[in-house]
Amino acid sequence: MKLWYSFIKEVKLASRGFYFYIELFMALLLLLILIFVVPENFESRQSEYIHLDLPKTVKKAYIKEIKDKDLDGKVEKVEIENDDKVINSRLYKTEDKEIYIIDDKKDVIKLADKKQKIGAVIKLDNKNNLDYEYYLQGYESNRLKNLILIIHNVGTDTIKTVFNKQDVRPLSTDYEVLTDRENLIPSFLTFNGSLMGLFIIAAYIFLDKQEGVIKAYAVTASTVREYLLSKVGVLLLTTIVSSFIIVVPVMGLKPNYLLLLVFLFTTGFFASSLGLLVASFYKNIMQAFGTIYLLMIAMIIPNIAYFIPSWNPTLIKILPTYPMLEGFKEIIKESGDVSYILTISLVFLIIGLILFEIANKRYKKTLTV
Amino acid sequence: MITVKNLYHSYNKDDNFAVKDVSFEVKNGEIFGFLGPSGAGKSTTQGILTGLLKLQKGNVSVAGYDVKEIKQKMFNKIGMSFEQSNVYSKLTAKENLEFYRKLFDVETYKPEELLNLVGLEGKENIKAGEFSKGMKHRLTFARSMINNPELWFLDEPTTGLDPAIASQIKDIIKQKNANGVTIFLTTHNMFIADELCDRVAFIVDGEIKLIDSPKNLKLQYGDNLIDVEYINNGETIIETYSTVLEKDKKSLKNIIENYEIQTMHTKEATLEEIFIKVTGRELI
Repeated sequence: MKLWYSFIKEVKLASRGFYFYIELFMALLLLLILIFVVPENFESRQSEYIHLDLPKTVKKAYIKEIKDKDLDGKVEKVEIENDDKVINSRLYKTEDKEIYIIDDKKDVIKLADKKQKIGAVIKLDNKNNLDYEYYLQGYESNRLKNLILIIHNVGTDTIKTVFNKQDVRPLSTDYEVLTDRENLIPSFLTFNGSLMGLFIIAAYIFLDKQEGVIKAYAVTASTVREYLLSKVGVLLLTTIVSSFIIVVPVMGLKPNYLLLLVFLFTTGFFASSLGLLVASFYKNIMQAFGTIYLLMIAMIIPNIAYFIPSWNPTLIKILPTYPMLEGFKEIIKESGDVSYILTISLVFLIIGLILFEIANKRYKKTLTV
Repeated sequence: MITVKNLYHSYNKDDNFAVKDVSFEVKNGEIFGFLGPSGAGKSTTQGILTGLLKLQKGNVSVAGYDVKEIKQKMFNKIGMSFEQSNVYSKLTAKENLEFYRKLFDVETYKPEELLNLVGLEGKENIKAGEFSKGMKHRLTFARSMINNPELWFLDEPTTGLDPAIASQIKDIIKQKNANGVTIFLTTHNMFIADELCDRVAFIVDGEIKLIDSPKNLKLQYGDNLIDVEYINNGETIIETYSTVLEKDKKSLKNIIENYEIQTMHTKEATLEEIFIKVTGRELI
């Protein structure tokens, strides 16, 4: 019961403070970004601005070729704003490109420069062969430059023949692809949900130290464990609420919410215990800031591997945020690996308990000093 | 109620002791004053007695519990009023007390009763953060009584309070003591100690210099003096004479017989004067 009363007191204190609302506000902000800013899937088509400096008949044939590849076979007249100038163009959308045909060569160069896209002028050479003049940004990789050279110097039939000879066999066909929007959720849950607890619980402890209320608590018939658990409880509550604010509107009924609750509880408990332990070594937030900052930076590194799967060194797999990201990803997938989620939940719970016990022992010695 | 034997404490765990070889006993129902200047070891000793500091060396028993192995239920019998106010500033006065009363396993006071007792009636629903320093101190003092303690630790209970409120606090302390509460009073204010304590201990540089009742100390260490104010050639003269020294006795007799006496008072040595005499240290 004392734990419950302490928890209620902590909720009251938190709701009258600043930190409680940071996490909830961030959750709302991230939700708005997900809904209104992030598209379902990021546009992967490359834009090209092209000027056709060709004789009428060749130009007609070239445009026909592009039009044949257009997804709806229709040309779209669009106006492009560039430096207060409106440039008229015709847009063709193919599977992998958005091709803007521009009447003026100078406009192509300006657009390539300002919009940081590829510009090209196509004309005929002395032998009446097509001649391509590309305008790149300068930072493109050699691989891209070589690709452009190959495309126009090797016949497309040759490329197709080579392609057809390639034998591509997927290792697995039983996988579920998340949309780009959904794919961002694990990252948001890891950092706004679980990891923010690390920083905020330390802030709560330092506020109590500053007010001296810990000493008053220490001379009551309640234990340090109850005091610390009540703090963890508030953090778990805000973590769960803020995570649900993000997940429910975006994912609807797709995720397994019971699993999500279990995972949020165990990862949140782990992060809070880690925050408690870190805070036990310092007298105030200024002293602890350096350590907390370094810890959070280290925890962010697995995010790079999450978005760039080809970069996945073993070292980052030992960072707790790596399995957190993977765990959240599995949860929001309809066909997520339940045994994986439960296994890492158990690991987080065990490590969290160990960290909590160490923190509890340290606070018994240092809380009142 | 409290037994302390050969208590030592070093913050750096070396031979630089903040408290060394301190021994004393506090009997049930007495008000025991622990007096000394800043840095003398008062707070360290009190910290060990209340479990806020870990016992390093020595034997300490508080309210029947061995302090080596502090049990949380010991605090059902203990109240502690801190020198620095330490209440939740974001909670109201009532919420503060309401919360703390739930942390004990014994019958507790209603917050309203305590707030009335310390003159904070009508302030129940104001957040402690909006209180003045004196009001916060009174709230901290009220909180220390919430579990109706058998043993009450008071650290500078009247510091920073105006005389009227300080007098009210002293009355509460006297009343509680009359009801059988044992009080361990830590202070550097000798007037309060003199007024409230049954016995006092003088502590300087971590060592107890003496323990006795204020009355005995005055008898033992204080010279009885007489302040006399008389008229001599139209001028008012004030002089102090010892009632013990023969020379002073004769001078005083001469004044009484030959001059017009305006006022004449016996004067006792103060506890502060005795402290300085015994320890050679000021109470700063």
